[in-house]
Amino acid sequence: MPPILRRAQSFAALLAIFLLAIIISPVAADGSRIFLELGNLTDILRQISLIGMISLAMTFVILTGGIDLSVGSILALSTALTAMFLTRWWPTASYGSHIALAIAAAVAVSTLAGALNGVAIATLRVQPFIVTLASMIGLRGLAKWLTNNENIDIGFGRDVAARFAALFREKAIVIGAFAGAAAVFWTLLERTVFGRQVRAIGDNEKAAEYTGLPIRRTKVWVYSLTGLLSGVAGVLYAAENHQGNPNAGVAYELDAIAAVVIGGTRLAGGKGSISGTIVGTLIMGVLTNMLRLNDVDSNVEMMIKAVIIVLAVAVQREKNA
Amino acid sequence: MTRRFLYTMGCAAALLAAGCGGGRKQLVVAFSQANNAEPYRAAQNALMTRLFAADPGVRLVISDAQQDNSRQVAQVETFIRQKPALLIVAPNERAALTAVMGQAMDAGIPVICLERDILQPNYSTYIHSDNVAIGRLAAQFIVDQLQKKYGTPKGNVVAIRGLLGVEGEINRDRGAKEILDRYPEIRIVADPVADWIQAKAKDRMTEVLRAQPHIDVVYGHNDPMAVGAYLAAKELGREREMIFVGVDGLGGPAGGIRKVMDGVLAATFVYPLCVDKAVEIGLRMLREPGFRPEKEYVLDSLMVTPENAAEMYQRFTVDGQ
Repeated sequence: MPPILRRAQSFAALLAIFLLAIIISPVAADGSRIFLELGNLTDILRQISLIGMISLAMTFVILTGGIDLSVGSILALSTALTAMFLTRWWPTASYGSHIALAIAAAVAVSTLAGALNGVAIATLRVQPFIVTLASMIGLRGLAKWLTNNENIDIGFGRDVAARFAALFREKAIVIGAFAGAAAVFWTLLERTVFGRQVRAIGDNEKAAEYTGLPIRRTKVWVYSLTGLLSGVAGVLYAAENHQGNPNAGVAYELDAIAAVVIGGTRLAGGKGSISGTIVGTLIMGVLTNMLRLNDVDSNVEMMIKAVIIVLAVAVQREKNA
Repeated sequence: MTRRFLYTMGCAAALLAAGCGGGRKQLVVAFSQANNAEPYRAAQNALMTRLFAADPGVRLVISDAQQDNSRQVAQVETFIRQKPALLIVAPNERAALTAVMGQAMDAGIPVICLERDILQPNYSTYIHSDNVAIGRLAAQFIVDQLQKKYGTPKGNVVAIRGLLGVEGEINRDRGAKEILDRYPEIRIVADPVADWIQAKAKDRMTEVLRAQPHIDVVYGHNDPMAVGAYLAAKELGREREMIFVGVDGLGGPAGGIRKVMDGVLAATFVYPLCVDKAVEIGLRMLREPGFRPEKEYVLDSLMVTPENAAEMYQRFTVDGQ
């Protein structure tokens, strides 16, 4: 099947769920469908933005044939650092520079954590699953140790932390960050040499090595980018939840992997796309919203999602064959 | 193609099975639960379901945030779109839920905040219990028991603590220490952290038992941890040397009251589910046009000892638990 048709297929799945959501949507008092309210549709986009951003980076990781289990822990570390920086450190700074530096510090540490993953994977030649499993555990410990196991609350007053939260929990900013990241990652993958190298490594690492592609450097970059986006997601998480919670982001790696896989990226690497991942994220988001709007029992919700994941991958198999 | 059909049909069938419950005009009460997986919260759900089921004009919808702040915020947002007649929220964490509960109030939905506080009074009423008072009650019981045993208040106490930084842990500890600190001959010889979990408490208590040749009382910040400590002592044949005191006092065969009847715990202190009060106040808010709830209701604890355990078991056991 030509690539255009293949991509059309995942869109068709999204469209089917979207139409179903419209059809079964409960109706508001004025006769309109609640699902289609602008507020509800933007709710969905905001709710998928954090996992969506992590999924973008996870697409790159999976394309190289790797996996990153540490994204949730990196998010927790970033969230904790953001809140600690804003509430405890450097109280004399002006609001603007304080916020800018808090974000920069949290994102820098997250990127560094990702880079360390990459270096360990590329130079020690340990499997990505094991390296990132270790950092998932270790970074969670670091986040808990830094915060002494406490949530760093961000209040609702007039201090710098409260202003940060008020600004960065705005729907427009959260959705904008996701859209911006999506645009950058799509361009990276589809329009740059780096993107082709990422695919080539996952497709056939030996061949890529013999062709002289910079495999190590590419891997370090890919895991650094994952750290970076998980860090950005962590900053937004701090704002959205008004706290730096060292227990944040547990199991987010699984949600991200699910979105990537539903979007048609092959878990073995080499094949996949950013647009597919965005569709995958949207499918999970619309599905969750549809089930919640119809008051489907949350245990049943999990079972339905399980079915969707398996069916989605079954459809991918058909088209990849 | 067939697969895609299956995909769509699967969703539709699941939804029809789960979603099409309420066609008649009923008042919808939406309950956002922090985490169904905790026994205390499962008991809340069971009791609330039973109490609202007695009123045919009300339909209760429960969502489960699975201990995830972002998920709970999203679920409350979805509830706001549905405009329920009443919203009850058992917040997972203070800071994270504050803003979204404010949005519900702004949307004109009456909100009951259940059991856990939030940072701003974004609710119509807040119904909760007092963990400091419970800590004091438990400590007074411990003092009385030691007085009985030695003729004077002295002895060695082991405190088993819940998840650090959580309100319940902080205040059950603080209340108990307020009382115990008055008796210099009562010593807290160890206070390991077991995160509310029975299995962890058993491991921590085993270590304590190795180090402490003489223990009089174990005070578990919840019943499962007190039971875990009991199991550790039993394994070493030392369970008769000391008494075990817990907090929560849930009904049902797995709850702490049963453990008092079985002679495992010397006493437990009921941490009220707060649900009966919430349903009573909620129904008045729905049905009595002029009714204005108090801003806050504080519910008292009850002591459960072998003398009253059977009666308490009847009272606090909810069908279907």
